[in-house]
Amino acid sequence: MSRRIIHLALFPEDALDQAAEALETLRGMGITDRDMTVISGTPFSEKMLGRPMAWTRISIIGIAGALMGFLTALFFNFGTPLLYPIRVGGMAYQTLPTSFVVFFELTMLGLLISTFLGVFVEMISPSFGPQGYDPRITDGHIGVLFWAPPELDPRLHEALTGLGAEIIHGAEAKKLWLF
Amino acid sequence: MAVETQPVSPALNQPAREEEEALREQLMFDPRPREELNRMVMESMYSTSPRYWVAVGVLTALVLVCLVGMWGYMIFTGIGIAGIRKPIYWGVFIVTFVFWIGISHAGTFVSAILRVFKAEFRRPFTRAAELMTTFGLAAGALYPLIHLGRVWVFYWMIPYPNARWLWPNFRSPLVWDFLAITTYLLSSTIYLYLPLLPDLAMARDRTQGWRHAVYKALALGWRGTEAEWFRLRKAINIFAFAIIPVMFSVHTIVSWDFAVGQVGGWNSTIFGPYFIIGAILSGVSAVITILVILRATLKHMDYFIRPEHLDALGKLVLVFSMAWAYFFFNDYLVSWYGGYEVTRRILTLHATGPTAWVWYCMLFFNVVIPWLTLWSRKIRRTPWAMFIITVLINVGMYFERYTIIPMTLGHQRFPFDWGEYSPRLPEISIAFGTLCLFILLYLLASRLIPLVPVWEVREGQEAHKVVKVGKTVVPSVSELE
Amino acid sequence: MAEQQETRERWGMVVDLDLCTGCNACVTACAMENNIPWVGEEEAGYGRNMFWIRVQRTWEGEYPEVSPAYQPVMCQQCGRAPCEPVCPVFATVHSEEEQINLQVYNRCIGTRYCANNCPYTARSFNWYDYTYQIPAPMNYYLNPNVTVRRRGVMEKCTFCVQRIRAGQEQAKAAGRTLQDGEVIPACAQACPADAIIFGDLSDPESRVSKAARSQRGTTLLEELGTQPKVTYLKGGGYYGG
Repeated sequence: MSRRIIHLALFPEDALDQAAEALETLRGMGITDRDMTVISGTPFSEKMLGRPMAWTRISIIGIAGALMGFLTALFFNFGTPLLYPIRVGGMAYQTLPTSFVVFFELTMLGLLISTFLGVFVEMISPSFGPQGYDPRITDGHIGVLFWAPPELDPRLHEALTGLGAEIIHGAEAKKLWLF
Repeated sequence: MAVETQPVSPALNQPAREEEEALREQLMFDPRPREELNRMVMESMYSTSPRYWVAVGVLTALVLVCLVGMWGYMIFTGIGIAGIRKPIYWGVFIVTFVFWIGISHAGTFVSAILRVFKAEFRRPFTRAAELMTTFGLAAGALYPLIHLGRVWVFYWMIPYPNARWLWPNFRSPLVWDFLAITTYLLSSTIYLYLPLLPDLAMARDRTQGWRHAVYKALALGWRGTEAEWFRLRKAINIFAFAIIPVMFSVHTIVSWDFAVGQVGGWNSTIFGPYFIIGAILSGVSAVITILVILRATLKHMDYFIRPEHLDALGKLVLVFSMAWAYFFFNDYLVSWYGGYEVTRRILTLHATGPTAWVWYCMLFFNVVIPWLTLWSRKIRRTPWAMFIITVLINVGMYFERYTIIPMTLGHQRFPFDWGEYSPRLPEISIAFGTLCLFILLYLLASRLIPLVPVWEVREGQEAHKVVKVGKTVVPSVSELE
Repeated sequence: MAEQQETRERWGMVVDLDLCTGCNACVTACAMENNIPWVGEEEAGYGRNMFWIRVQRTWEGEYPEVSPAYQPVMCQQCGRAPCEPVCPVFATVHSEEEQINLQVYNRCIGTRYCANNCPYTARSFNWYDYTYQIPAPMNYYLNPNVTVRRRGVMEKCTFCVQRIRAGQEQAKAAGRTLQDGEVIPACAQACPADAIIFGDLSDPESRVSKAARSQRGTTLLEELGTQPKVTYLKGGGYYGG
């Protein structure tokens, strides 16, 4: 593991086909999908690149947040009037029609805030794919990041350069965020 | 791009070539390399003329004097310095509150509803509209505080376990307001932030110094991996679908502030949708106003914002102006036909009272002007004309809220208490101060965050191709998502 | 004592418009009793007056045969008060004890929503700190039994709840039940024509109950369903019945 070197093959913006081809070539050389990552400045779906689907937990986190919001609203609507019962306008202490408003707002608040927290946590938690970056990615270049054993180097370079890529040997992970 | 397209061959005949040339008028068919788009957006953030700094200085001074100073003076002396009086307990403050909340509907409308329906023309200005939402809410959310008699205890409205053992009254529309505005402010700010991540990373890669530090922190280490894009897309999808009902709920709840009361002229079941349509009308109009200003003042914006966008938004304004008229007429006719003494009197007062000009201006600006002008494609594509029309629509919408609030409260069931209201200097000053605050925040933001979602524009340009059909070419959009 | 608590009073008022002379004595007495500040000529002219009770003077008939009609209007102490549920902080609540509508000044944050929603326009707002403007010796007139309101809070008629409480406590100390006519609010006390009758509506034999059952009786804006506790008597020129 420690001997493997991170490569970054940079393809120009319009060379998506070549990038997909490169991924195929790498697979042929015995590099698994786990050891590859594609980074890009515009979103490409996994299908375009022929890659396995990425996964995320933000939907579940979002639903959990919505549930929390709903329970909070339940307490606000039906719990707080019992803690300090005050009669207003001849209404019952706990009123169903008004409770829907509070249920809706707090459920949505819970859903949206936790969706964001999900994105935030997943963004800053460590990822296990090959790390590495080049500022040209945000200029639209498509980058194929992969770990490869050193003995494959000459073959790799030849194959990928042939496809029009520029190879950055040892594109080490840089500190892109605060820690 | 892996989309199968018909390359435009040099053997294309003359009419087809002209067609293709005509398509270049559209941003999506006038692609430029990503590198150049990035450079244009970065330059627009860095270009600050002396005029810009003068504007920032003047606006800051105005905010300090008109808003902060006047509000401070009002807190010190009492809310009596405002013009509100016995039967008219809500005046310009609540009018301006509803106005700003209405403006804030634009961002969500443009960027969530148009995103959900995949309206491609939205791409270059979603962020400009989302910024309007956030800053409109920031300006509007001040008013529930400004209008309080005792603002220093405003936190008694917040539900939290406190020493008084007292929770807020969850049956009060004002508490719903508080919850809804909090939800909307937080979620629309996040909705502004999420699609900004790739652009912040872009800015991070192209800046040094303090800007770099800020963008680096905000970009959360964005690299553009498949997992990151997938996550972002998922989150944006959840937001786009979830924020639409939240937006509807916010203005409905604002309308319930009035509709749940038994005040004549307020107690109407149609107020919810009526207010929403009004909000979207004023919001979309304000988006056009801002786009025209951005196009004229911000560097390279004439590439991103084109007459086609004003054209598309202008059609929306026309549709919403008609919808607004429909709801207004509905409310008016049913109240008039009902013949209930108090509503009948209020309707007469609106049309013939001493401030009837407000009512007529409202109808003229919201109905007559858009209906007479926006049919014309030529007008819709003329920036200065659209600027004037949309500013007038917003004046009209302000008058609508003015009609509904102080002009209705003054003539309720007991003639003995009837009263007239005219705004006093502090109210006008504070309302003007929040306008300055909104513009100031927008001015500052225009130089701090990439105002055009570059990746979305680029994605759109990649999805749009020219396809040859027979002897002509037609535009074609491929679904990449 | 406990059994006395169970018979809950329901305080109510009857205003006989056929007796009212429009003398405004009730307004004055109310202001003195309840520490209602005077706001000055200019402010009052602008509609900032703070009366808890006002005498509405309207003209009846066609000119020149006109006669004035007077109607004292105060908070109607609604059973289903529109002002109460709209308050975000429970500053105006229904009192289970006295069955009246209370305003809790210390809790009020000044949204003024209740006043907009009151169909009787019975509420007054403290636009400024009026009490601080009282010149030095005059502040001795303030009634120690009534809270002095500061600026930014809403206030309104309480049916002189301080007098109700005092009456109840006196009766309790003497070990008897409250007698009809023992508690009189300031307006009723000051009325020279005895047009304002106050008492317990839950006692069918009380003077106020009998008057409220009169054929001449109406409540204001009955169609709104607010269930007011104030009944107005008006015979339309014909007396008796």
